[in-house]
Amino acid sequence: MSSPHATKSHLDAQATTQPATRRRSSLLREMWKQRAAYLFLMPKLILFTAFILIPIIWAFVLAFQEYGVFGSEWVGLKNFESVAKSELFRSALWNTLQYTVVTVPLQVLIALGLATLIHPLGRLGQSFFRGAFYLPTVTSMVIIAMVWRWVYNYRYGLFNYMLSIFGLPTPDWLNQSSTALWALIIMSVLIPPGVGIIMYLAAMGSIPEQLYEAAEIDGANGFQRWWRITVPLLKPTTLYLTMLSLIGSFQVFTQILLMTGGGPGHATETLVSLVYKTAFRDLEFGLASAQAIVLFVITLLFGIAQYWLLYRKAEED
Amino acid sequence: MNYTKTLAVLATASILAVTVTGCSKDTTATQETASNWTGKITIWDGPRWEENANKYAWIESQKKAFETSHPGVTVEIVQVPWAELNDKLGVSIAGKAWPDLAPVDISGNGVNPTFVKQKVLEPVDEFITADEKKDFLPNAISAWTQDGKLYGLPLGMTVHGMLLNLDLFKERNVEPPKDGQWTWDEFVADMKKLTYDKDGDGKTDVYGLSTYVKNGYYESWPFLYMDGGRPLSDDMSKFTFDSKEATGAMKKLADLKTLPVAPKEMGSGDVGGTWKAFSAQKNVAVEPWATWAISAAQKAKMSNFMVAAYPTGSGKPVTIGGVGGWMMFHQEDAGKKKVLADLMKQLTSKDQQVVTAKNYGTFPTRQSAVDANPFGENLQMQQAQKLTQNAVMVPKHQQWKKIDEAIQSQLQLVLNGEKSPEDAMKEAKKTADELLSK
Repeated sequence: MSSPHATKSHLDAQATTQPATRRRSSLLREMWKQRAAYLFLMPKLILFTAFILIPIIWAFVLAFQEYGVFGSEWVGLKNFESVAKSELFRSALWNTLQYTVVTVPLQVLIALGLATLIHPLGRLGQSFFRGAFYLPTVTSMVIIAMVWRWVYNYRYGLFNYMLSIFGLPTPDWLNQSSTALWALIIMSVLIPPGVGIIMYLAAMGSIPEQLYEAAEIDGANGFQRWWRITVPLLKPTTLYLTMLSLIGSFQVFTQILLMTGGGPGHATETLVSLVYKTAFRDLEFGLASAQAIVLFVITLLFGIAQYWLLYRKAEED
Repeated sequence: MNYTKTLAVLATASILAVTVTGCSKDTTATQETASNWTGKITIWDGPRWEENANKYAWIESQKKAFETSHPGVTVEIVQVPWAELNDKLGVSIAGKAWPDLAPVDISGNGVNPTFVKQKVLEPVDEFITADEKKDFLPNAISAWTQDGKLYGLPLGMTVHGMLLNLDLFKERNVEPPKDGQWTWDEFVADMKKLTYDKDGDGKTDVYGLSTYVKNGYYESWPFLYMDGGRPLSDDMSKFTFDSKEATGAMKKLADLKTLPVAPKEMGSGDVGGTWKAFSAQKNVAVEPWATWAISAAQKAKMSNFMVAAYPTGSGKPVTIGGVGGWMMFHQEDAGKKKVLADLMKQLTSKDQQVVTAKNYGTFPTRQSAVDANPFGENLQMQQAQKLTQNAVMVPKHQQWKKIDEAIQSQLQLVLNGEKSPEDAMKEAKKTADELLSK
């Protein structure tokens, strides 16, 4: 026989579980009602689960294992300890941070600048420049990297040819540790940010014309209208583009692999190139997963910080 | 609405069907008896010599011959550029989708210890009779043996030597080294004479020497060995490339750029660019290469060249060799293993070793193929063959790839003039010691 106290707890528990059960069954009922929509979504969900979700979960599992093709062994935090102790990882992290800190703001600023210049043009002009600047986005990074390898060639490259015309010193861009990372940064910055331009142009098109007319009546000049109206109203787009660019920069890999291989020395080794080598050259998938998870956490922290700085500030404003 | 639902169900069903059938295993392998296995074999190979504009003609001819002698067996060839081979194998191992047979690059050092550690390679001892094994040269077999087991069959050996453009030697009135032997001082004196301004514009157009430094490539390493320096101690327990002999040799090599008898990009250039400078642009008189380059130069109609030894310092004459061949990846089916071993034996047979030696610039690994004298009329290969007596292999340590990377990445900085050899090797030693202590 239960005590009155126990009965009360039982009733309390029932009271809290009943709404939860009701919510669950109503959610299931709702899902059943929308089953056609879920069925349409299912192919994509299956692919997402197979190729994104499961590998991510598997990477988390692997990070705590010493991987063997025919059987892995649980090793606790050993892989993370190795990451923390690795000088090479710290060096790759530092290179990635330098790359990110320089390229992200510049790519966003260039996109904003170019979109500002294109926006006042007529329909034909806009279409032409949209297409022209978007072209590198649909071009394979492999091809772009090959072209830039020629641009940076010490003996026959375009850069050194131009420098030699002015009698300036001609560095071996990709093969000196003092210039290699900067060469990659310059390349990334000079590739037109097609997605950014398109998004900024779309956002600019949705700013009400009356705001500019009112500012003009109040005596604001062109720059003041851009600075006081356009830039603040583009903040959500800026935030989105900065986030995208940040994630892309932390994941920089193709150009590293094709242009420098991480060298000379480890001057251009980045986190993803290190993860790649650890996994596919050394077959240390556990360690590579731990490195990838650390990269994920760093990117997440940067993303949150950026969101807080830009979005919250925008809301306060 | 009903129409929409039907569409959704059909779409889902089709995707599921495609996914399921796409992921299913190859079902062509049917019979599983040990002697009469039939089915599909997947073999990877890199580009070899060109026949009718086809660099895979040799492996294709081998496929045909094998399919004829083994009815019911089909061989699928996957073409893989050599530079991508190891990365692709790594990816395939990660996905447990490895080929049945794959080659080891000729400049490689036999069996890959990482693959053995991961148990993805099959030992082939049970398929090789004592007599067959006896025909292989002991050093080739040794390069493919780990923990007493033979992990594959060697096809050819290579050795690194100096390729000399004799047209440039003649143009500069420089006598090539007698019998292909020279001391370091003689070598430097010749390099100085071979570095010059060809078109009279005040800039140097032709350099004496060039080479490159890259993980897994050892063209520049015999220079570092010339005074007796070696990367690891004989028992492979200590890093020794920080010795005076090794760092002194590194300094000598790096100083060639400041003399200057070597171009600024020496050490940092890529394989293709370095080769092009020697064979096509002809603006470098001497380059060290593995012997495949001899065949490549001959096929590029570069007839007036010779092969010489690396210059000697205070140590014994030395060069670095490599052993390429075929390895078998993990198999569940005993019958298939036997068929794969048959194919490996065909690919590394005496006849194929002779063909490969003649066309691909490698030395046979079978005594019977050596006795067939494949280089009867090939002067440059004969010159290179003399170098084999001084050839040593890179250390066969399980962590060698990482130790190699630690050394090569620092060596690049030495040749760039960005670090002293002592500082660079101190840095490499840190990584190497950690790896050697594992």
